[in-house]
Amino acid sequence: MKSALRKLGPAASTVLSLGALLVLWEILARLAQIDGFPPATEALVQVPLILGERESLASIGASLWRMFLGGALALCFAVPVGLAMGRNKRIAQALNPVLTAAYPIPKAALMPIIMLWFGVGDLSKVLVIFLGVSLPLIYHSFHGAHAVDEKLLWSAMAMGMKPVARLFKVVLPSALPDVLLGCRVGLAMALIVMISSEMIARQSGAGDLLFNALDMALYGDVYAMIVILAAIGFVLDWVFERVRRRLVHWAESRQDAMVPGGGV
Amino acid sequence: MSEPMIAIQGLTKRFSTADGRRHLAIDDVNVEVAEGEFVSILGPSGCGKSTLLYMVGGFVAPSSGAITVQGRPVTGPGPDRGPVFQEFALFPWKTVLENVMYGLRQQGVSKAEAEARARALLDMVHLKDFADFYPKELSGGMRQRVAIARTLAYQPQILLMDEPFGALDAHTRTVLQNELLGIWERDRKTVLFVTHGVDEAVFLSDRVVVMTRAPGRIKKVVEIDLPRPRVRAELLVNRRYQEYIVELEQLIEDVHLEAAGA
Repeated sequence: MKSALRKLGPAASTVLSLGALLVLWEILARLAQIDGFPPATEALVQVPLILGERESLASIGASLWRMFLGGALALCFAVPVGLAMGRNKRIAQALNPVLTAAYPIPKAALMPIIMLWFGVGDLSKVLVIFLGVSLPLIYHSFHGAHAVDEKLLWSAMAMGMKPVARLFKVVLPSALPDVLLGCRVGLAMALIVMISSEMIARQSGAGDLLFNALDMALYGDVYAMIVILAAIGFVLDWVFERVRRRLVHWAESRQDAMVPGGGV
Repeated sequence: MSEPMIAIQGLTKRFSTADGRRHLAIDDVNVEVAEGEFVSILGPSGCGKSTLLYMVGGFVAPSSGAITVQGRPVTGPGPDRGPVFQEFALFPWKTVLENVMYGLRQQGVSKAEAEARARALLDMVHLKDFADFYPKELSGGMRQRVAIARTLAYQPQILLMDEPFGALDAHTRTVLQNELLGIWERDRKTVLFVTHGVDEAVFLSDRVVVMTRAPGRIKKVVEIDLPRPRVRAELLVNRRYQEYIVELEQLIEDVHLEAAGA
């Protein structure tokens, strides 16, 4: 079985394993006969219907836009902070306790408080996505900058490279594999926080669609939304992994990213 | 003899250990290296010989004492002293050619000229067909050749070599020793070479500085009076070469015994 899978290649094995999941879902749902657990076929027929509606498409688009905005802000903020922590002991000592304390807090749990301050609109949601993405990104950038080989810096110093140039030309590229690992964790985090923020502040977005369907007991729609979200996650991860490989193809092979995803 | 290329006077280095104790790594070291001289620092691991080299490089600050290069006190790293590390320390995101060009570009040499000089150096270290490879695609010996070419490219007056062949297998090490000697005999740069290999030190050096362990002090300086160009096969049957090997082996053994007795 294993060697047969290997022969088929990664794309085929992805199709096979997802196909098996759908078949299992179909069989279990037909056996269970529960309202809240429709068979795969009933859910899947709803997917094109949802995607055919302008309103739901706009909702999903709004979600993705907020996710992109929160992620981009996090990238601009978290990478410099993480790199600075990695290169400066004092900054690390000051910020590391905060980071460690904030990491396990589910960022969506902060949503009610943020809503009190900034309302139920886009700002609160973007902010909570920003927080969710920032923490893993800071952590991995910190780790990457901390692990920069001192001899690389020394080699650059001997060539006469100044401190600021070393930060951009030695520290950043050295830490890039870790920074990108943080980005991949952050991407998964962004999706999770995006949906949960919309569960709490029900105004628009993919999470709102999902929970509206749940309120109206449209279970086929609920599962169809879950399938759509999974597909979005899958595609984003696949694209990101392509970009990542292109950027750090030079790196020695190391442990694959912790986040499960396509294209392994 | 005029002013020495490198003058080390009363050099001492103390480290703070994790539990707050002070550890004396280097104690009152005095060495002078003349221009064009090949000097090895020989000692067991943990004798602070690499630390000594890093202080000459300006990467590590001494606790007390003075280092001057061509009469000027060392205050930090500079392109007059080119390091070669055991770990190669190539920029992994740059190709072989880009690595060798890097120092030249850093010093404002035009791209075309930097590339021409880098290609000539790669040819010299027998890697001209590997210009577009990335470091991870090369063997250890090839990586160290690139590192040597990268350092030679910006034409430092002094080469600071920190156990450069220590991570290589025996055969590759021998090949690279021969190549280094070939390069050195052509342009006679001043070389400070840290090693724990007795035969390597004798084969390459004009003088060998033997160090003790913890704290690192100079035990003895041995002048290696062997003809150049040196050919390994001839040296192996050379009586004086053998005597140097025996003398240095005994000195190193004494260092080990003293460390064990203390």
